Amino acid sequence: MKSSCQQVSKLVSDAHERQLTLGERLRLRMHLAICDLCRAYARDIRLLKSICGLLEKSAVDDSTCLSEADRARIREALLAAGKKDKNISP
Amino acid sequence: MVDETSGSNTAMAWLTEHGDYLFRYALMRLRDEEQARDAVQETLLAAWRANAGFRGDSSVRTWLVGILKHKITDQIRKQIRDRRLSEDMESDPTSSYFNPAGGWASPPGEWRGNPEQLARDSQFRKTLMMCISRLPDMQKEVFSLRELAGEDSETICKACHITTTNLHVIMHRARMALRACLEEHWFNEEQS
Repeated sequence: MKSSCQQVSKLVSDAHERQLTLGERLRLRMHLAICDLCRAYARDIRLLKSICGLLEKSAVDDSTCLSEADRARIREALLAAGKKDKNISP
Repeated sequence: MVDETSGSNTAMAWLTEHGDYLFRYALMRLRDEEQARDAVQETLLAAWRANAGFRGDSSVRTWLVGILKHKITDQIRKQIRDRRLSEDMESDPTSSYFNPAGGWASPPGEWRGNPEQLARDSQFRKTLMMCISRLPDMQKEVFSLRELAGEDSETICKACHITTTNLHVIMHRARMALRACLEEHWFNEEQS
């Protein structure tokens, strides 16, 4: 049976989520062999996946910082917890 | 072993040294400054209480990020529960990308670019985050957990109360929408 691009796009995504069945793998491969558009889609999705993978491993270094107010609030929360938990004076 | 009086000092030192990093890490996954700040605070509190559990076999930062990841998943789980988020499984939003015969309505372009470069590009990251924030709620949370927080599918299904099949459908929808958004706002603009 000939697969539509719509059906194949789901397989392209599923391939990143689970082991495809043998039949699905064949259908996917046969379709990609003849369809430039789905091949482009599969490549785009792979690129998206690897970018997210790189982002996942780290908090990328940029200028975003905790504000002074945020820091102060967290510091206070730590001190309050210190007093409550262990009876330590701040 | 652990000097009790130095407890909060240690946590303060972590805040100074790793606070911004943890905040950025949380912000990218939660996309909300208030929530990200809370996650950092809870992480430092939990870390400090569990200080004796830190065996020094990983760097402090890695250890803190490990705790933060749990806090992020908790936050997202809470979001889904409190806002009663769900995904409509009946209608298929991806069908709008195809013509009635199942062919592409508008052909996907072939993106140029290398992942390392794009991941380092703060403008691109901003565009990606904008596109993620435009996803329908459930897709947004599930995609973030899966691809940005690196959670395994079992954890996500439990946190979101969905089946594995639903998870796969949601990821497919999110990828389809994200790809189209990135094409419109980044790749087409860049190449034109």
